[in-house]
Order: sequence, then C-alpha cells, then structure tokens
Amino acid sequence: MLDDYLIRKDSLQNVIENGKVTGFKFAVRIADYRGCFLSLVNGYYVQCDGIDYPVSLQRLEINQRPPRSFAEIKKCVWEHWDYDDEAFLHVTKEGGLADGLHVIKLQQSILAQYGYMPWDEAWVQNPPVPGGGAGSGKTDTISTFQLELQKQEVMA
Amino acid sequence: MSIRTGVSFYSYQQTQFFGKMTWKDMIREVHDHLKTDGVEIIDEAIIRHYPFPTEEFIFDWNNEMARYGMNAVTMDVYLDVHQFRDHVMNHREAAERLKNDIKIAARMGFKNVRALCLVPTDVIEMAIPTAEKYDVRIGKEIHAPLPIKAGVHHGKIDPVLDPRMVDQLLELIQKTGTRHVGLVPDFGVFQHKPTDLAIAYFKRHYNPDMIDYILEKSAQGHSTTDVKLMIDEKFPGNGLHFMTLGAIAINESCARPEDIIEIIPHIVSIHGKFYHMTEVEGQPGTFEDKAIDYATPIQYLKEHGFSGYINSEFEGQRYCHDTGIENMIDEVEQVRRHHEMLNRLIGK
Repeated sequence: MLDDYLIRKDSLQNVIENGKVTGFKFAVRIADYRGCFLSLVNGYYVQCDGIDYPVSLQRLEINQRPPRSFAEIKKCVWEHWDYDDEAFLHVTKEGGLADGLHVIKLQQSILAQYGYMPWDEAWVQNPPVPGGGAGSGKTDTISTFQLELQKQEVMA
Repeated sequence: MSIRTGVSFYSYQQTQFFGKMTWKDMIREVHDHLKTDGVEIIDEAIIRHYPFPTEEFIFDWNNEMARYGMNAVTMDVYLDVHQFRDHVMNHREAAERLKNDIKIAARMGFKNVRALCLVPTDVIEMAIPTAEKYDVRIGKEIHAPLPIKAGVHHGKIDPVLDPRMVDQLLELIQKTGTRHVGLVPDFGVFQHKPTDLAIAYFKRHYNPDMIDYILEKSAQGHSTTDVKLMIDEKFPGNGLHFMTLGAIAINESCARPEDIIEIIPHIVSIHGKFYHMTEVEGQPGTFEDKAIDYATPIQYLKEHGFSGYINSEFEGQRYCHDTGIENMIDEVEQVRRHHEMLNRLIGK
C-alpha cells in the first residue's frame, strides 16, 4: 500500500555530526492507513547501492526529538507516530554517500496488528528481522527508489 | 425513519496520505456534496497525539462537527497486542486500551466504537461498565471471511477467526443484559465475486496464467481450500500470499443476505465496504459495485425497519497504488458514486 511513496523523493541527504559525515538519512511515511505506537516500529530493511544496512545501524528521527536507536524506540510504548507525520530514517555509514543517484531498497517493519495472532509470543522473544514481510503493511514487497543525494545539512 | 448514510474517512486514506484533504475537508465533502451527516473515523488516522489528544484538538473537532451539524457515528478502534514489546498485551490490558478509546470517543461525540473481529469477547465484557458510563456502544465488526451465521457456507481459509463470533457476542449481550454491545456488519460479507481492480492488480504482480486459473477454478465452485491445493500442484513455488487468494478466489458471499435480518436489533452501524463503483450499463449517472450485493441486504434492512447508518467505506484504492500517481483512483468520486447507489436503493 503506497509502498512506492514511503520515501520522499527529495529527502536523501548525508548527515554531518561534529563536522564529520557519519551517514545518510531520508524521510519516510507509514505504509498503512493509520498511525502507530512508536514502540511498534521494529526497524527497516534498508539496502543502498547493493549494501544492506541492518537495524543496528539505523536510527529514527520523529516527533521533534533527536534520532533514536531502535533499542530506544522499542521502549516508547506511549509515544505515537501520527499518520500524517514524516520521520527521518538515519543510517550510519562513515563518509556518507557520494554525490549523484543512489538506489535504495526499503521495507518497513511495523508490528501493528488487528488482534492476537499465533506468532505473538515468538515475536516478543525474537522480533522479526525487517525485510521478510512482517509488519510491511498491506503488501509484502520491497520497494526500490532511485534518489538523488541532496545538499548536505549540518547538524549540531 | 429510514436508513441513514455517512462516510468512513478510511475512504479518503490515499488523499489524506498525499496531504490533499484534512479531516475538515472530509467533513465539508460529506456535508456540502453528499448532503448527509454521518461521520466515521479511524482513531489513529485522524486524532493528533492519540491516545492523548489535547483539549484543543477535541474542541476543534467538536466545533467543526457542530458547525456543519454532523453526527459522529462510529470511531474505529484497534488492538495492537505488541505495544509493550516486552510481553504480549494480556486481555485485561487490552480492555484498558478499549476503555480509553471509549472515553476518547465520548469526548469527540461518537455514539459507538467499532471493535475488531479479533477482540476477545472477555475484553469487550470488561469494557461494558465504561461503555455504559459514557453511553458509547461497542460494536464488534463482522468482516469477511466471517459469516453472520456459522456453518451456512463452506469454510474459508482463516487461521484465527472463529466463525461463531456473532453467536458468541449475542450470548454476551444476553448474559449481561447490556444495551451497549452490538455489531458492525461490513458489506464485504456480501461480496460474491472478486473485484476487477484486484484481478488486474494481482495479474500485474503474479503469473497472469495462474490468476486466470484461480478465477476459473473458483468460478466452477471450488472452495478456497481446494483452489489452494490445485495451484500448489499446477504452479509449484508460486509464492502466492494467503491474502491474495482470499481476495480473488471468491465465488459466494461469506454471509447470506437474509441472515442480516436477525441481527438488526443489535446493529450499531454498518460499514458500506466497496471496491469499485462503475456506471450501470445503459443508465448514465447510476452506479454499482459489481462484486458486492447491496440491493438484497438493503431491501431486508428497509423491510425490517433498520434506521441506523450505513457509512461508505472505500477500499479499492489499494489495488491502484502500483502504477503511478496518475493512475490512482479518485476516492472522492468513488464515494460520491457509492452515495448515489445508497440513496437510490434506500429510496431517499
């Protein structure tokens, strides 16, 4: 559902922290028709130019807060990601991305459900690894985006 | 009093996603163009800072609804059992979420909340005192592939839904004597064939020959279970998703239209689910959904004095998201067409 529109096309940027390029980021929306408790955001399958970036290298910038790791996001059990809002997904990559076009493959993993499911206990013990379709919304495809790197933004 | 109509703002989800309509625009569309007053929302799509909306949001909502003389019919609420991540939410915790949703609904003027099919009956039971205190009814949704009456049709594949759901809820109503629990039937239970939008979508994403084969076997009367076995044999490694088969291997409705008669006293509101409104041949300006029977159930609802709301719930947009923005379907126009049909069948 709207999977091909999850990343805002003009949002890919390198991230500069303390004068060093530490990675890249892009703006994402929710592939569903409703928002979700932030704790349910289980991370993303992210591939950039053929390289996979696991959840441990991802952080989510949402609700006017600095980017948070998914270990922190998991604890945000009362905070909500409202449907209309955009978040930035930060990916750690020393030196960031080169100028020009980049191919990004993406699938969200948001553990929203319509009630109790047979796999519930298993997901508490071992949350699904993003990319397998768990929490991807109404479709289980991995979407491909061709994005041009935008001008760099300096972060404090 | 006749059947009343409204719109679930679920219908405008894609328009909302792209920032083309806010909830205020949706209210105006229902009031100005559809000339009706029923409003249904998805809590987590509309309410800023759910589940802790500000006083300002609540006042803004109530003010806008009052401005146009609208009626807040039903708020659709959810059950995300993984919210706490370190444990699966237990039933008492699920009831706490439902109770809080009821309080939010009451503040926004809603008369009902829609609980999902998979909400356990004891969760609803625990929330009854809150529903009664705030005078908000809990309506449990009857959504495909659930029937209204168990055992009248061949079973459809579903790992979790209990086909006796309606009976279980009626037992709860009888046991407690509450007037604050009821049902939200979804017109999807009267879908008797796949919608053309779904067929086209799945042909773009799977082997079109396999989709044709599924349609052929299903039309011949084979059950979903049988069709699954047939395609696994003929198209090994087909990668067919369970949901895909459920959306196109449809040769009879989950519920019989006449089964709605018995539950009419318990209906809190109805989801007017539809996928694609097309013009009736030879009748310009007259529309129908070829996949869902509206005429028969509405006739029964009229004959038996149903005077609640049918709220348009458009769901065809999801089958048009994969071929570019220019090919997306116009949700506003689809809902207008759906209302043409509803008004005509109701006899307004």
